[in-house]
Amino acid sequence: MHPLSLYFHFVKLRIRSQMEYRLSFIVELFAQASISVIDFFMIALLFNRFKQLAGWSLWEVGFLYGMIGICFAVAEMIGRGFDAFERNIVRGDFDTILIRPLGTFYQVFANEFLLRRLGRIAQALVVLLIANSQLSVQWSLTKVGYLLISLMSGTCFFIGLFVIAATSCFWTVQSIEVINIFTHGGVFMGSYPFSIYRWWFRHFFTFIIPLACVNYFPALFLLGKIESLGVSPIGVQLAPFAGFLFLGIAMLFWRWGVLHYQSTGH
Amino acid sequence: MSSQTTKVRAAVVGLGWRRFKCRDRMKSLYLTFHVYLAFARKSFQKQMQYRVANLAGLTTNFFFLLVQVFVYIAFYKASTEPQPLSIDDIITYFVLCQASLMLMPLWGGREIADTIKNGSVALQLTKPVDFQTYWFVDECGRAYYYLFMRGLPTFLISNIFFKVTIPQQPSVLLAFAVSMVLAIFMSAAITITIFSTAFWTLDTTGISGIAASVITFFSGMLVPIALWPEWLAHIARWLPFEGLIDVPFSIYLGKLTGIEIWIAIGKQMAWCLFFIGFGRVLLNRGFSRLVIQGG
Repeated sequence: MHPLSLYFHFVKLRIRSQMEYRLSFIVELFAQASISVIDFFMIALLFNRFKQLAGWSLWEVGFLYGMIGICFAVAEMIGRGFDAFERNIVRGDFDTILIRPLGTFYQVFANEFLLRRLGRIAQALVVLLIANSQLSVQWSLTKVGYLLISLMSGTCFFIGLFVIAATSCFWTVQSIEVINIFTHGGVFMGSYPFSIYRWWFRHFFTFIIPLACVNYFPALFLLGKIESLGVSPIGVQLAPFAGFLFLGIAMLFWRWGVLHYQSTGH
Repeated sequence: MSSQTTKVRAAVVGLGWRRFKCRDRMKSLYLTFHVYLAFARKSFQKQMQYRVANLAGLTTNFFFLLVQVFVYIAFYKASTEPQPLSIDDIITYFVLCQASLMLMPLWGGREIADTIKNGSVALQLTKPVDFQTYWFVDECGRAYYYLFMRGLPTFLISNIFFKVTIPQQPSVLLAFAVSMVLAIFMSAAITITIFSTAFWTLDTTGISGIAASVITFFSGMLVPIALWPEWLAHIARWLPFEGLIDVPFSIYLGKLTGIEIWIAIGKQMAWCLFFIGFGRVLLNRGFSRLVIQGG
């Protein structure tokens, strides 16, 4: 079987097993969406009082929010295998993965699929669409392509973070929770324009953890706000590729980590 | 003369008897208290195992605090209109928020649902311990752990980086302490109420998720209620959840004074009793329809 069709087969199985508890699935979908609706509503409340944030209007921030929200939710949906990898190590399940005739990365990736993140994806998408309708962005084919690449890149960025956290389990057994700063914290800080942060903070999240590259810079380009910033346009246009690069580095780290795996027994 | 002596003697005996009964009751009350105190202490110790996780949580708390402060500073810079809370107030508010984040009814309670799901609730019900009180003190023990091990460090470290206001009047601090204890009690009661729905749904993820979003919203954890538009703030004032965050911190910041403090604390107490009562009703109904599979 071709790996890709095998992957879709796995996903189909996961979805079917999650649909077994239909009521609980629907309630959870609703809960997911309600949490994120409140999230954005709070930002709207602040704009209702303060009108603008460092030259950004509510819907410009909504654009940022929608982008990062979609990236993170998609990453959580398809990258769940790495997000929940800890229990594979704790239970010693990784042994089974090692003896199968497929790559470890591929297997862990195909291991889980969290369908209920659809609620969060839908909410972020709605915010993005409303934001777009409120703003006058001149869409062209290049810009649509650029947006799609940015979204994919952002998703890769978050999956990269999950992979790094999962790889650390080879040494620490339990997942390093500090990664939450970059995942959940990343979504939180990525919902606001980067210009409000201090320089050291900004630089850290551009060059070391390339969060700004997958969200803020693409949004600047799409919303036509580059002029307000002292960054070269070419740098901004190439920025989204940092997300793919980040995932690549994370995968190399994974490969190296697997070599250091010691079973917890069984 | 003799009749009088008898009367006196009878009175003395009666008094002694009454005193004995009283002491007996006090003793049993003390013993009960002692038992539950031990449970609370156990719960406290249980959390002690996760020291590294606590450290990681502390870092995360601090990170979110930092971003929140950046965001509010930027908002305040852009606006020239006078605001009900100064930027120093806001910073203090969010420092307190992050410090008491783990005391909120968002984290605990999964164990309650688990005992119901795996049937060990039956075993617990055979013990001479009240189910609700047991989990109530368990939650409180957890809360006190996080108050000292997470809240206090967050608060102290924040003092180095930010300008955190500290109330000067001892009466304000006292009122804040009372209000905070009530917030912890209310949080425990809410947690039990949420997770006792496991009798009906078994999977509580959905309900606890919805509850979490309502609580985070109406407690004022994300945006202080003072900054909300009036109509929405009005709704929040009629709901219990402001008692978890907004009420104690408003007292701390000196935004509530005199009689307002008493009213706010009274409201907290009333809601606390409401959730304890409501949880009790829910649990009793749950027990009556409880079926344990296997043995």
